[in-house]
Amino acid sequence: MAIDPEQTPRAKNGRAPDVMTPGGWVSMREYPENEEVDFVIVGTGAGGGTLACKLAEAGFSVVAFDAGPYFRPLEDFASDETEQNKLYWTDDRIVDGDHPIKMGSNNSGKAVGGSTVHFAMVSLRFRPEHFKTRTALGYGVDWPIDWQDMWNYYDEAERALHISGPVSYPWGPKRGRYPLRAHPLNAAAEYLARGAEALGIKWTETPLATLSAPIGQSAPCVYRGFCVTGCSTNAKQSVLVAWLPRALKAGAEIRDLAMVGRIETRNRRCTGVHYQREGEWHFQKARNVVVAGYAVETPRLLLNSANEEFPDGLANSSGLVGKNLMVQLNQAAWGQVDDEIRSYKGPPSLAISEHWNYDDDKDFHGGWSYMSQGPLPITWAKSLAGGRNLWGQALIDEMARNNHSVGLKMVGEVLPYERNRVTLADDTDQYGLKIPRITFSLGPNEEAMIDHATDFMDKSLEAVGARERWKEMDDTCHLGGTARMGFDAKTSVVDADCRSWDIPNLWVCDGSVFPTVGGVNPSLTIQAIACRTGDRIKQMSARGEL
Amino acid sequence: MAETFPDYDVLAKRNTPSWNERTRDVIDARMAKVERPDILAERQRDTLRAVTARVVPQPAHRAPVNATALVLDKIGSDNGDGFRHHELPDVREAWARGLDAIDAEAKSRFDTGFARCSAYQQDEILASVQNGDVKAPDWATLPPKLFWSWRLIPDIVSAYYAHPSAWSAMGFGGPASPRGYVRLTTNRHDPWEASEQKNDELIPAKVRNRHGY
Amino acid sequence: MLGLSVLADSGLEHYRGSFRNPAMVFPLLSSSMAIGFNGRRLEKPLSDEKTGPLVSHLTSAATGVVGLGFHLYNVMKRPGGLTFTNLFYAAPAGAPFALALAGALGSTADRLARGKDTLGPIHLTSGRAIGLLTSFGLIGTVAEATLLHFRGAYHDPFMWLPVALPPVTAASLARDVVDDQPRQITTSLLAATAAMGLIGVGFHAYGVARNMGGWKNWRQNLLVGPPTPAPPAFTGLAIAGLGALMLMKKRRKARG
Repeated sequence: MAIDPEQTPRAKNGRAPDVMTPGGWVSMREYPENEEVDFVIVGTGAGGGTLACKLAEAGFSVVAFDAGPYFRPLEDFASDETEQNKLYWTDDRIVDGDHPIKMGSNNSGKAVGGSTVHFAMVSLRFRPEHFKTRTALGYGVDWPIDWQDMWNYYDEAERALHISGPVSYPWGPKRGRYPLRAHPLNAAAEYLARGAEALGIKWTETPLATLSAPIGQSAPCVYRGFCVTGCSTNAKQSVLVAWLPRALKAGAEIRDLAMVGRIETRNRRCTGVHYQREGEWHFQKARNVVVAGYAVETPRLLLNSANEEFPDGLANSSGLVGKNLMVQLNQAAWGQVDDEIRSYKGPPSLAISEHWNYDDDKDFHGGWSYMSQGPLPITWAKSLAGGRNLWGQALIDEMARNNHSVGLKMVGEVLPYERNRVTLADDTDQYGLKIPRITFSLGPNEEAMIDHATDFMDKSLEAVGARERWKEMDDTCHLGGTARMGFDAKTSVVDADCRSWDIPNLWVCDGSVFPTVGGVNPSLTIQAIACRTGDRIKQMSARGEL
Repeated sequence: MAETFPDYDVLAKRNTPSWNERTRDVIDARMAKVERPDILAERQRDTLRAVTARVVPQPAHRAPVNATALVLDKIGSDNGDGFRHHELPDVREAWARGLDAIDAEAKSRFDTGFARCSAYQQDEILASVQNGDVKAPDWATLPPKLFWSWRLIPDIVSAYYAHPSAWSAMGFGGPASPRGYVRLTTNRHDPWEASEQKNDELIPAKVRNRHGY
Repeated sequence: MLGLSVLADSGLEHYRGSFRNPAMVFPLLSSSMAIGFNGRRLEKPLSDEKTGPLVSHLTSAATGVVGLGFHLYNVMKRPGGLTFTNLFYAAPAGAPFALALAGALGSTADRLARGKDTLGPIHLTSGRAIGLLTSFGLIGTVAEATLLHFRGAYHDPFMWLPVALPPVTAASLARDVVDDQPRQITTSLLAATAAMGLIGVGFHAYGVARNMGGWKNWRQNLLVGPPTPAPPAFTGLAIAGLGALMLMKKRRKARG
């Protein structure tokens, strides 16, 4: 019987799992706890995993912690929605507000590689104006980073992930050619394309972080359709597969099943982190600490680390840690057609229209995009039961018509509001740490966007002959905003380099630094920011500014 | 409704490249699960069994889905979902209170336990939970609509559609790794996918599905 | 050789298309027929059977031309019309062209074997006509390889070979045809192209193995991996080119 990676750490004794070989290992450098490493990184997802690679390759000593297991997808992943719940962060969290967020699947991950292990691989760039929404479009706040700077780092991230995309992308400023060609369209994507053409707007093949040609030891995508439950073939370019093998090779250490509970400070500087592994608390000394736990765990750790020096939590002199929590709108329109769609095949979002990210003729703020969809059975059954109140034989009969169902789903921008926030509840979890309370309510701007988007997607379906159409109104995805970057210490938590204003050797590198979330999936932008932060740290270190 | 895929069985692919070893292990174990007697009280389990039978009726002509056993397993595992509505207790407590309240609702309406009500009466009770127009005082500590949409429906529906019989009935391709799919476009499918029953077809689905794995 | 390549390739690809259109069996029948007749020609080069082969070659040529129409229609009816994605994944526009070419080359071989000098108004014994046809054929096949290897993002440097070598060969052959002067370098280039076609099968087989599940998952990977029967099309064409050079040399010798 093999050792259960969910119970016993794998990355130990000088080796880490080789994700490319069943049962395989690669060698891993290890650092003693009393050695002050250059960087401790908390979290190995899109932000932390990418930064671990960049910093290790720049020659820094790096230890990256993840609370989740270190999986080898080829041997550990089943083609099964239920089994793959093991990739989600399912620890206790309390949700409230007018529109409590359903956490777990599409907004968290508890595994080495973070939520990129089960993300839908959609890899988009922000519209340039979305980095300057206040000055360019009159809402939200500006980013302290210039879009042209970001364009270079998007290039870097796209190359590292071997993005498969269209030969020319129809929106925004010119970009280099995607490293790999786009995947073929499945039937659901064809329906998006025909609908967009009927309504006279542009569409394209979605740029995806899954291979369309073999690269290294990864085989190209087999279109098995279980992408959002983890890729068992390694075609998906998750952080686990794309960045972390590089990080290990460059000398980084990764500690799996290691939950960081508190950051220690002395004389207003971080000295290291307390973490629990194999049932015991340990302390790792560090010159710098990077928090990369995503928009709930990051503020939770900063708040849980409150001490005498920082009674309101670390990096929180602005009072903004945990505030301005944003999700993205994820409403959908569905219908039935005569054609067989069988949307369980292929990546779920093979076609996209970003039309409404680039058209400002709207009576609300913010942008949205929409993509074709391919829900698996449990997800679809919950959509029908929740969105149409179906149960009993009516549900079973409707499920049997799933191969003729077709739908479109939005990714929409939510504005930052201080009332939407992450705080600490009184209850504690299995580590003895206070659990987060997540408060969220939509505003009138979001309601207007939802109406606009669901009407438009419904029209697109109508234009291609879909009948029995209905709108799924209750879904969100992605997170951001709870440790926002900005221009000064009063109105933000970190600066453009993801360095906290209050503590010079404390950094935040994940989606929580987003001042605004734009109308596209955030993972590529998080990775681009991590690439930029890596380069900036290297430059600052060379100048002796760390 | 007539079945669309009467001759299709996901399990026929179990020993083909569509299923990897991990998938075989996981699904074998799931199908073998029986109702755990140590989870909830006996009367609560009876109620749960009756509720499940109404919310997700068994597929015709197929191996029955052990949905009740799977829901009990989830309750027993103490695995959360990653979120808890601030007005609801944790998984086990919510189910215990909810099943008691459904039973009490049956008593107040029909003067008997939920499991002994007729199917028609059971549906009426379940609809009252769904819509929040309940009569029993037991609901004071558990908001019925929230219990329905955040606990009862997701848990039962997820259990049912985790079973191969349910996948076969809906013509879902089922597990697919290492072999995925080749034919992705409209109206095309691979020989190892379900063929729909269509009366005007030259080669009936029955034959197509037989050769399909 | 070209016929075999076409048969296997179109068999595979039209199976992938589930023989959705009944016309999709035609190229199979036609290329099988062509292989049959051409094969027999090898055994009995001086057979005077006339109608059979002629019908076969005409059918090949016609099927190729009509197929081109079908494939273009298939590309155009997809969403987006003439886009890279449709050229990559819809019916390949270049493939039926190979069948038409096989028909033309077959007819030529036929006429020559029977000692006839002309096919319609075209003089054959000079070898120049065949040479020119082969040059065109190589260019067409290169176009298809270029497109499909672009789809594979040239992830393996060897994928540049069938894009780089055959145009040089075709140019050299065309130059010889125009000058009516067979050169040694052309023979070498044609031989290299022929060898490349055969080695290409090996590369494509390796490409299939690099797909998930490798050859054990052949029912998927033979269809989605690089087409193993495609590269020998180069070999077939290169052999035809070598034949053309031989004819040219023979004639030069005869002229003294």
